[in-house]
Amino acid sequence: MQPLANITPLKPAPRAGTIELRGVGQVFRTATQDVTALDDVSLDIRPGRFVVLVGPSGCGKSTLLMMLAGLRQQTSGTVTINGAPILQPDPNRVGVVFQEPSLFPWLTAEQNVEFPLALRGTPKSERRARAEEALKLVGLDGFGKRHPHELSGGMKQRVSIARGLVQDPPVLLMDEPFAALDEQTRMTMGDELLRIWAATGKTVVFVTHSLTEAVYLADEVVVMSARPGRIVDQLQVSLPRPRTYEMLSGDAFGALRERIWRHIRKSA
Amino acid sequence: MAGNLGLRIARLAVVVALFALWETLSRTGLVNPRLLPSASETLSMLGDLLQRASVRNDLAVTATEVVTAFALAVPCGALIGFLIAENRSFADVVKPLLFFAFSIPKSIFLPMFILVFGVGFAQKVGFGFFSTIFIVIMSTTTAVESVKLDYLTVARSYGATPAQTAFRVYLPSMLPILLEALRISMIFNLTGVILAEMYASRDGIGHQIATWGENFQMKQLLAGVVLVAAIAIAFNEMVRWVETRCSHWRT
Repeated sequence: MQPLANITPLKPAPRAGTIELRGVGQVFRTATQDVTALDDVSLDIRPGRFVVLVGPSGCGKSTLLMMLAGLRQQTSGTVTINGAPILQPDPNRVGVVFQEPSLFPWLTAEQNVEFPLALRGTPKSERRARAEEALKLVGLDGFGKRHPHELSGGMKQRVSIARGLVQDPPVLLMDEPFAALDEQTRMTMGDELLRIWAATGKTVVFVTHSLTEAVYLADEVVVMSARPGRIVDQLQVSLPRPRTYEMLSGDAFGALRERIWRHIRKSA
Repeated sequence: MAGNLGLRIARLAVVVALFALWETLSRTGLVNPRLLPSASETLSMLGDLLQRASVRNDLAVTATEVVTAFALAVPCGALIGFLIAENRSFADVVKPLLFFAFSIPKSIFLPMFILVFGVGFAQKVGFGFFSTIFIVIMSTTTAVESVKLDYLTVARSYGATPAQTAFRVYLPSMLPILLEALRISMIFNLTGVILAEMYASRDGIGHQIATWGENFQMKQLLAGVVLVAAIAIAFNEMVRWVETRCSHWRT
């Protein structure tokens, strides 16, 4: 009989929504010089977590997101989701919401949400049903037949979120999704996103420039430095959920925001 | 809507006034009626002409030439324009050359077309094609370049194949500009074909108009002008109507 301690346990299969970055680097080669955008970034994100990336402009946070989306390949290191590397866009694992809602103006809200399904040849009736469900989830029940130009900025971004969720991927990537919205809409959309996140249990990776937004939304804030982009701090936000507007003026909130700001001021 | 209606009435008034002026100038003899037959006489001549089998035949000949030249020039031009826009280095080489070619008046090549194709269908279609293709190429290039990078990124992130990207993103995104291009191309095309007919031809409405002019048949000549103008305007407005329906795609 071997002592139990010597038995190597089988590595458990990663749960859907696990993200692993190992020594990830990105070098842009130009004619005159090599620019290191990301340097040795390692990060573990557990399923269902809400992780926010912040950092000064040019810290590579969007680049990192594009790698997770499979839209860009790292020059070194590995990026895995659900334990498998991301080599190209994989809509089954990842939904993406961009800064501009980037809805197709020639399609209705409904058709925009159906777009990812249409690409894979999902039958029309199923497409319609799933788009309807996704629109309901983001609070746009009954707006499916409108075209993007008939929707407000916030509503467009809701459609974009519905499009990201329609294939039910375990991970939702969001690249400054609310940056173009006015302050009030932005706050509302933050609450809406938290509600959707709580309802779906997705892993969310969210990039923003707003420190308030970062602390308000996140379980964990990852702070990055300017070129070369490195992780300089990871903050656990232990504020209770649901988050409320009153928390914004609390001491705990202020302390977290200040800690992030000090990092950013240093590296900018 | 009231302002819109007002505008329409004002426009109609201008047209009516022009015809009235034309009528008056001719009737009062301020302009020699042999040089400028009155509007009413011209319009009744137009009615007459449309009854004639020979004129109808001319119109059919011209229409066939125009449609054939257009049907050849638009896909060819669009394909070349697309390839140019998609290929950076090729575009750098070819684009300025296209601008040079576009700036040359196409009519100076007409004698060559007659030498190559003879006088007939091929000469007119060939010249119509030649008059049209440059504008189609250039418009398509512009249309392709107008497709927002955001749209392509979205398509890519949801795993679109190149064919899906072409048909589901490029084509609808380019459609408003393509329609405008189509409209302008038709102007060039019609000009090309009619010019070729007027220069050397045995039939076609352009040939007929040239003949009326040479024979000093002013009533017929003016009626022919009104007819061709009406056809060209009708086509233009038809495409413009489709254009306005997808105008909100341009953002």
